[in-house]
Order: sequence, then C-alpha cells, then structure tokens
Amino acid sequence: MMALPYLIIIPLFGVFSMPVVSLAGRKAREAWAALISGATLAVGSWVFYWVYRNGTILYTLGAKSPLGQGVDFPIRIVWEVDLFGALMVLMVTLVSFMAVVYSTGYMRHDTGLDKYYTLILILELGMLGIAITGDLFNFYVFLEIMSIASYALVAFRNDTWEGIEAGIKYMFAGSLASSLVLLGITLLYGQYGTLTMGYLAVKLSQNPTVTAKVALALFIAGLLFKSGASPVHMWLADAHPAAPSSISAMHSGLVIKIGGLYALARIAFSIYGASISRETVGWVIIIFACITLIVGNAMAVIQTDMKRLLAYSSVGQVGYILLGLGIGLAAYGSHTGEVALAGAIYHTFNHALMKALLFLIAGAVIHQLGTRNLNELSGLAKTMPKTTFAFLVGAAAIVGMPPLNGFASKWLIYESSALFNPVLGAIAIIGTAFCTAAYVRVLYTFFGRPSEKVLEAKDPEASMLWPMIILAIAIIVMGLFPWQISDRVMLPVARALEDQLAYVATLMGGG
Amino acid sequence: MKRTLAYLSLLFILGVLLYVANPDYGLKFGPGGGEWKALRYTDDYYITHGLEEVGGTNIVTDIVFDYRGYDTIGEATVLFTAIAGAVALLRPWRGDGDEHH
Repeated sequence: MMALPYLIIIPLFGVFSMPVVSLAGRKAREAWAALISGATLAVGSWVFYWVYRNGTILYTLGAKSPLGQGVDFPIRIVWEVDLFGALMVLMVTLVSFMAVVYSTGYMRHDTGLDKYYTLILILELGMLGIAITGDLFNFYVFLEIMSIASYALVAFRNDTWEGIEAGIKYMFAGSLASSLVLLGITLLYGQYGTLTMGYLAVKLSQNPTVTAKVALALFIAGLLFKSGASPVHMWLADAHPAAPSSISAMHSGLVIKIGGLYALARIAFSIYGASISRETVGWVIIIFACITLIVGNAMAVIQTDMKRLLAYSSVGQVGYILLGLGIGLAAYGSHTGEVALAGAIYHTFNHALMKALLFLIAGAVIHQLGTRNLNELSGLAKTMPKTTFAFLVGAAAIVGMPPLNGFASKWLIYESSALFNPVLGAIAIIGTAFCTAAYVRVLYTFFGRPSEKVLEAKDPEASMLWPMIILAIAIIVMGLFPWQISDRVMLPVARALEDQLAYVATLMGGG
Repeated sequence: MKRTLAYLSLLFILGVLLYVANPDYGLKFGPGGGEWKALRYTDDYYITHGLEEVGGTNIVTDIVFDYRGYDTIGEATVLFTAIAGAVALLRPWRGDGDEHH
C-alpha cells in the first residue's frame, strides 16, 4: 500500500510550504490550501477503498518489518490502518476539504490568513496522524499537534474578547487533559517497556497490573475531556461559538471525535480489550454518556445564540456515540454489543457531516447578517432560501428523521440500548426529545415573519454555498441507503474494532 | 463544596500514583540484571543493535532520528504550530493598521 505515506506527506508539505507560497498573494494561498486538502481527500478516499477491499494495512516507518532483527518485538513506529481508522481518515479528509473551500469565502475579511491556512492544514494533519498510527507515543505527538493548532484557531479572531477568552479556557483544559494522557503513556512504558499498541496489548494480557488500570483511568479521563463529555464539556460550549465557523465545523465534526472518541475506542478495544473487565469500563463510559446526553441536549434548548446551541447539541450527540461505545464494551461479544458499536461509529460519521453542515450554515448567517442571536433571525427563509433549506436538511438529520442519515445511526443506538437495558433506551429518547425541541425552535424562527435585519440578506457566494450543498447532498444520499451502509460498512467496521486478535496478529505477522 | 471535592480528588489521585510508584506493587525503579532484560528489552535492543543498524555512536540521536524519526517530525511540527499560532494571535487587530498609516 504505497499511497498511505502520502496521507501525511501531502499535508506536511502543504503546511511547511504555505509561508513561502503565501508570498505570492491571497489567490495563490487559497488555491494552494484547497489543492493540498483536495489531494489529501483523494488519497484518503483511496486508502479507505483499499482497506475496505483488502483489509488492514500495516506500514513500518524505516524498515520492511516492525520487528527487530532476531527478536519478536517491534522496535519501530508503525501505522496500522484497520477499517475503523480508514473510515476516520475518509471523514477527516472530506470535512476538512469542505472547511478549507468554505474558508476562501468566509475568511475574506480577516487578516493573518497565511497563518490561518497553515494552521487549518496542521489541524487536518494532526487528525490524520491520530487516525492511522499504531504507536502510543506517536498518538500523543499527533494529539498535541491537533490540540495546539485548535487552541490557536479558536482564538484566531484576536480582536474579539470571546475568542481570546475561549482560547485561554480551551488551552488550560486541553493541556491538562493532554498531560493526563502523557502520564498514562509514561506509566505503561515504565511497566511494559513498549510503545507499540499491538504489542502492548500482548504484554498487557500476559501480565495485567494495577499500573495498567491506573493508566487506563488516566486515558479515559483525558480523552473524555477532549471529546467534550459532561461534566467536562464547559470548554467546548465556549470554544465552538468563539471560533470562526469553518473551524467550529472542523472542531465539532472532527476534533472531538478523533482526539476523544476514536482514541478512546482504540485504547479500550485494541490495547486493553483482553486485559480488563470490559463490563466495568463499559459501564463507566455509559454513565458519562447518560449525563452527557441529558446535559448537552437540555442546555441546547435554552440557548439564544445559534452557535452556542449547535455546540451544546454537539455535546449531546457525543453522548449518543459514547452510549453506543459503552454498550459495545459492556455487551462485548453479543449481537447487541456489535449493533451498538456499529451505531456509535455510524453516528460518528453522520454527525461529522451534519454538524459540519450546520456550523457552515451558522457561519453563512453570521457572514450575511452579522448576528447569531436567534431572536433577530426570524424570517430567514424568505431572504436566504438555499441556506435555510440546507439547515432544514441538517436539523432533520440530527434529530433523526427517517429519510435522512441520522435516522439509521440513532436507530441502531436506540435499538441496542433498549435491548441492553431499557432505562438507557429511555434516557436516549429523552435526549432526542430535547434535541428536537432545540432544532424545532430554530426552524420556527427561520420560517417566521421576516425581521428588518433579515430583509437585505441574501444567500452567500458560491465558495461558501457549495460546501454546504455538497454536505447536504451527502446527508440525503446516505439517508437513501441507510441499511446498506450499515450492513456493508458500519458492521464490518465494528467487527474490525472488536477483533483485537486480528489487530495484534497483523502487527506481529509483520504485514 | 466544589473546591473541597476538587482537593479531595486530587488527594485521591496523588495516593493512587504513590501506590503505583511503590516497587512492591507497581513500577520498578532502577531495574538491574534480569529485570532490565524483562522490562527494558526495547532499550536493550537499541543499545546492542544501534551502532550496526544506524551507524551513529550516540544512541539517543540514533533513536530520535532513525528508529523514531517520525516522532521527531511530529515534534518539529508542534514547534512550527506553536510559532504559527503565537504569531497569528499576536498580529495587529483589524483596523489597527489604518490608524497608524
């Protein structure tokens, strides 16, 4: 699989060449950023297709095999891309490309754009690095790349007080969370002497120690922070509204999933799978999921700020994904667990599309009207019909209306949670009730009588409109084939994640 | 209330970490002999094979630039990001430039 390194090489080249290309002016900079992220999307799609057809890729950096000469343990950094990682790669490259194209119109009135495009490509690079890596310390390095780029991008509009405030809050919370993850890695290395995830899994199952349990607790704590789960979601509700909308789309759609949920799933299943009580860990995650579901969705109902509403809704949706993940762990090996895990992964992908779409729309509204106060936005349907239609699609999908993609993924989570424990099913339904209330309220505003402020508004320019249209079409098309996607892609992905033995065997077999 | 809970949890975490740092139950400090081979087998490999495989006599640079060179690219990117971020956030505010010229 020779294309895989280009997934890192192309963004890396784009990042380090951006300061030079920027000298040629605004047009060159925008074209370069779009070209780089477009090429990354092409490679990402190819990687996904290849893994879907041929199975897990193992790639060793610097040698043919990860194992050392004459020994049976890995000494080099490996990339191990199973179907789960490949799906995340596809998701990251797709939404990042949309966000970069959208930025060319949306960020036109800002200064410092050479730094902006550098940072947005670094953000994409960091997320791709996390998705493909098979090495625990390498995961930390790319987690930091992603996090530091996000801190800077949240505070990018340095002349707004909320940008700086949110950036500081996010940076303090995020750095603390990263340090917990690093402490966990340190403990594991001290105890087991290896950093490769697959080999660590072997070592862990041979000798489960209390150190490993403490490290797992630190990982869970740090990664729940990063995914914005309650009760540690407070940075998210400030950071997502304050960031430029193209960045909020990437944060809500990608960063909290790759840096939080993907990493949590990878660590829980691929590293710790055989050496812990899956049921205990599953229930810990389920408890946080239930709190997150209720708090996030309930807080979304009472917001008057459009982007804050979307941010709290993201917290609520993270709750669903965590619920699926938790049930997948607690009911490991049963059909219910597999369905729950497939639902969680499906919802991760769907939510990336929907929430990116909704944040891009919020950005278009702010761009055209200069306000994101919902009380001032009534009657937007008259003057911005295309934007409102895209919002309708996104809102219906996130609530889980049947013809759209959110339905199938939420259905899988409802079904499995009701089978696993009816109380959890009821909590999930309550969360959706709140979520529906929040979005119906927004739609009610949009379709009301036009206010004075709205009258001069019009749909945004092509570079902002097209990413929204493409995401809306993706949501509708995915909604047409919900069960085909679930059976052909999401269930195999869930099985790949559950199959720890295959993950280890790929590594130890050397490819 | 919140503050008390926070200090109590910090105390708990400290206790857990101290427990783990105790060689009787958790991490071994300064392992020697057979323990070194069992716990630091990767380091042992780097030391014995580093010179012939990489060619440098400094084992730390051998690891940082060869065996784990990809991490070093990552670290360089972190520094680049930090600089780009700091420069981006310390740029003049919109409209500031107009007042001075």
